[in-house]
Amino acid sequence: MRIFDLIRMGLRNLLRRKARTLLTVIGVIIGTVSIVVMISVGIGMNESFEASVMQNGGMTIVQVSADSWSEDENGEWKQTLQNLDDKVLDRLRQIEHVKAITPVINNWNMQLFSGKYSTWTQFMIMDMDCYEGFGYPALEDGTYPNKENSADAIYIGPQAIQGQFQYYDGRRPKTKDVDIRTDQLSIKIQDYQFQVNPRKKEFEQKLNNRYMIQASESGYSQADYSCFIDIDTYKEWYKKFANTLKISDRKKALASLEKYETIMLNVDNMNNVSEVQEEIEKLGFKSMSDMQYIEPMKETAEMMELVLGAIGAVAMLVSAINIANTMIMSIYERTKEIGIMKVLGCKVGDVRKLFLFEAGIIGLIGGIVGIGLSYLVSWILNTYGGQIFQSLMSGSMGVAEGSSFSVIPFWLPFFAAFFGMMVGVLSGFFPALRATKISAIEAMKSE
Amino acid sequence: MSEPIIEVKNAKKIYKMGKERIRAVDGVSFTVDKGEFCCLLGTSGSGKSTLLNLMAGIEKLSGGQILIKGESIGGMSENKLSKFRQENLGFVFQSYNLIGSMTALENVELPLVFKRVRGSKRKKLAKRILKQVGLKDRIMHKPKEMSGGQQQRVGIARAFVSKPDIVFADEPTGNLDSKTTIEVMELIKEMANKNHQTIVMVTHDRKLSEYADKIIHILDGKIESVEIVDHHESPNTAAPPGDEVPQETPVSETTAPVTEEEK
Repeated sequence: MRIFDLIRMGLRNLLRRKARTLLTVIGVIIGTVSIVVMISVGIGMNESFEASVMQNGGMTIVQVSADSWSEDENGEWKQTLQNLDDKVLDRLRQIEHVKAITPVINNWNMQLFSGKYSTWTQFMIMDMDCYEGFGYPALEDGTYPNKENSADAIYIGPQAIQGQFQYYDGRRPKTKDVDIRTDQLSIKIQDYQFQVNPRKKEFEQKLNNRYMIQASESGYSQADYSCFIDIDTYKEWYKKFANTLKISDRKKALASLEKYETIMLNVDNMNNVSEVQEEIEKLGFKSMSDMQYIEPMKETAEMMELVLGAIGAVAMLVSAINIANTMIMSIYERTKEIGIMKVLGCKVGDVRKLFLFEAGIIGLIGGIVGIGLSYLVSWILNTYGGQIFQSLMSGSMGVAEGSSFSVIPFWLPFFAAFFGMMVGVLSGFFPALRATKISAIEAMKSE
Repeated sequence: MSEPIIEVKNAKKIYKMGKERIRAVDGVSFTVDKGEFCCLLGTSGSGKSTLLNLMAGIEKLSGGQILIKGESIGGMSENKLSKFRQENLGFVFQSYNLIGSMTALENVELPLVFKRVRGSKRKKLAKRILKQVGLKDRIMHKPKEMSGGQQQRVGIARAFVSKPDIVFADEPTGNLDSKTTIEVMELIKEMANKNHQTIVMVTHDRKLSEYADKIIHILDGKIESVEIVDHHESPNTAAPPGDEVPQETPVSETTAPVTEEEK
């Protein structure tokens, strides 16, 4: 038989029993919709969960802190003091999958001045070449600074100062809006654990405002609310500051530069974070990452996705049984016809193909219509399903703003159409086999 | 003129019914020549239909051999057999066996569909032959909308449309009244003569065998006698010998299945 004739004959057979075909197709549609929507909800939950995690910070960042708290097997919290210096830094740098590594000093004892107006802000002091490696927000303009051309650049998070500088004149505070591109700024270090030598001039570092770099909003809160200074520049300034201290404190101050509070690593991929943490553990250091806390939640979300998919699969299974039933009925009805066809020279293979085609078409049409409906259901869920999902998910995880509850990735429709057709063909397989085994002589006797 | 197109050599068909073995066809041998109209005549249960089915490859031989155009029907694979049927065989059935959902035209086209003939050519051939059988204005009718005689004409058109060398007819007039029977028989004869085709017809009706060139009398799965009809005589006067035996008598004898203990 020519393929065209086969298709024509198959379609015609399906149209002969319109109601039955329609009902079977509806079965497949329901199966497809349930499986697609369930998977899409699972994916949506996963994505919105991941998005909410991303808001709180980079998932690939691992921190090794000098003062590390960890929970032991008995659930008791234990403090571990770790000595972090340049040697440790070099050893950690050797670990595979580490994309960027930098010591980090959090300094709250620095003030930005514009004339007599000033503002306190958090300074993160780290290796300037690593800004990009840590995925810090894009700049408003220009490129990230680097050590060669602008070692003393200050990188200002969009929320870090907001131009609000204050001056307290004894009665009430006055504020001044500062434009970092035009106003002359300077920086002062005021570390009260050390005593200043009153005979020396107070440390004040003038900032070259050409290198005040404002970043654009990133949604990554830590980067948005901090100012960043390169660690080498900072050390230089700190040494100058140390010179203004009393002799006795000067050594202490300089020594403090040798020890780091934190070493921060950025891992190339989320999936390698735990591996890197194990390596750090082997070197004898405790480390922390957001992934640690997210991992179990992530597993829960994935489990949820699986369970939802399984529920959808049950519906699909039912529709597969439905197709098989329809095909078996169809064979009983057409026994005589099959016999006639065989006697007239129809090949066994063609009989099989005909039935497989009919079953496959039911699956394919059901699949395609099902996909269309899935998009509709998905849209309805995203538009009106907010409250239901909010209450469903609020227990364990937050829902990120603007995220969808049901996400249909581009591969899902193709998968569903293919899957629908396969379900049809597979459930049509045994009926088709049965059709080929019908004896022509018996078939023709039947009425 | 006589070259055998069908050779049946010691053909056997044995059915097992529980412990009993029923020898439906029991060592039959004969030949049919090309262009011959051969009639298998026998009462119901005589094994004539089984013999026809064996010759058409619809049923499997239990023993012996059947050669059609020199090829052994029994030894063919399912696919080979389908192909062989497409090329060489046509069928006319007692109950017409038309496909109810298809029009007359589509029914006639069917063998050509399996033969992978293209649509336009197929339609032309089918229309032409439907015209020949006198159903020019019935081509778009479904079987249910036609009389028995018309349906059988469609059946005949279907059997002849691919110009097979052999057409098997199993009681082609069994469901028709006597007037239509004559029309249908004349039609079969006419169609076959036109292309020098071979007809093998099964019937229990002594009168129908008058159309045949060769009559093979079958009784209890065996050949009773072979009769060659000389058509140079007028068919009306040709009352073949042994014709007077009433039909009922052999029926009661042959309906009891022949069972034998030996192999």
